[in-house]
Amino acid sequence: MKPYARMTALCSLAVLAVTSFSPSTAAAAAGTYVAAPAQSRLEFVGVQAGAEFKAVFKKFTAGVQFVPENLASAGIDVTIDLNSVDSGDKDRDGTIRGPDIFDIAHNPTAHYVTRSVTKTATGYAAQGSLTLRGVTKDVPIEFQFQPAGGGAKLVGTAKLKRLDFGVGQGDWKSTEWVKDEVIINFSLALTPKP
Amino acid sequence: MPNVIPKTRYDAVAQTLHWVIAALIVTQFVLAWTFDDLPLGMHKLALIARHKSFGMTVLMLAVVRLAWRLTHTPPPLPATSTPIERFLAQLTHVGFYVLLFLMPLTGWLMSSAKSYSVSWFGLFTWPDLIGKDESNFKILRETHDVLSWVLLGLAILHVLAALKHQFWDKDTVLRRMLPFTNTETRP
Repeated sequence: MKPYARMTALCSLAVLAVTSFSPSTAAAAAGTYVAAPAQSRLEFVGVQAGAEFKAVFKKFTAGVQFVPENLASAGIDVTIDLNSVDSGDKDRDGTIRGPDIFDIAHNPTAHYVTRSVTKTATGYAAQGSLTLRGVTKDVPIEFQFQPAGGGAKLVGTAKLKRLDFGVGQGDWKSTEWVKDEVIINFSLALTPKP
Repeated sequence: MPNVIPKTRYDAVAQTLHWVIAALIVTQFVLAWTFDDLPLGMHKLALIARHKSFGMTVLMLAVVRLAWRLTHTPPPLPATSTPIERFLAQLTHVGFYVLLFLMPLTGWLMSSAKSYSVSWFGLFTWPDLIGKDESNFKILRETHDVLSWVLLGLAILHVLAALKHQFWDKDTVLRRMLPFTNTETRP
């Protein structure tokens, strides 16, 4: 084999290696993140007796796969420790954890996972399902994704109806004093997955 | 000259404010005593929500009432009133005005400290006055509670005094605040 021909062959091999390995290795390194707990926030906004109240989940984990050029592989997966709810009032937190609302004795966590992500005029939208209180239902979300340093910021919102998930039994099924509609806001500080 | 004859009655605005606020305050006591004994739940939430809406109504009416009082001279007390009676009447009335503001304000502050914002009949939400803080809430609830007993005490004094004027002194003091009565012909 002539040296020139050998080099061409090596080059072809190298190109082959890069093209065949890059989708998995390079994309995983570039677009796989976890949310940093201290800088991330997940809250819901309810309306109680006509006035809004906010509650945050102090403990949740979020894994994100996101490369803007490859939305087909994008996904968000969030697991929420419902016991970590903090609405600013211990009495209300106790009621929320109780059997009529979250029933954390039987369902200590909630889980959200996306199926598909699409680009929108203002950012991104995802279709996904939320499992809460043993009920799994579709909840679409809208979000912005902005690379920041080595990581990224993912900020978004969703709307759901609490009664779709049975959140509110007994008296709490009434929507006269606690509205059915609940807004979810999230702000995730993403760092590359180690 | 007709315009220097002293008034013998409170005008219609003063009477309306007096009786509407009085009815609201009675309602407030009934609501508070009812929900105090209830466990935290939907029923308690509903009653507290009404208590807050009525309370904020009292606060708004108190502003109107104070403005009206400062711009309109009330009818004078009977000439037979002793200095001590005049002083007590003045003290009770000033106390009422102060409490008309302090009761709703301590309630509003309490709600803010407990992180339950105050809605007005679901139509709009009042801004929180202070941040959430459990120890501030406890102090404010205690204050609201103590002031409610002061208010109740003043109200009992006020009613007894009015009845004394009506049935013991047989003067027009009660009737000048009562609609559809006549104070022109003095007894």
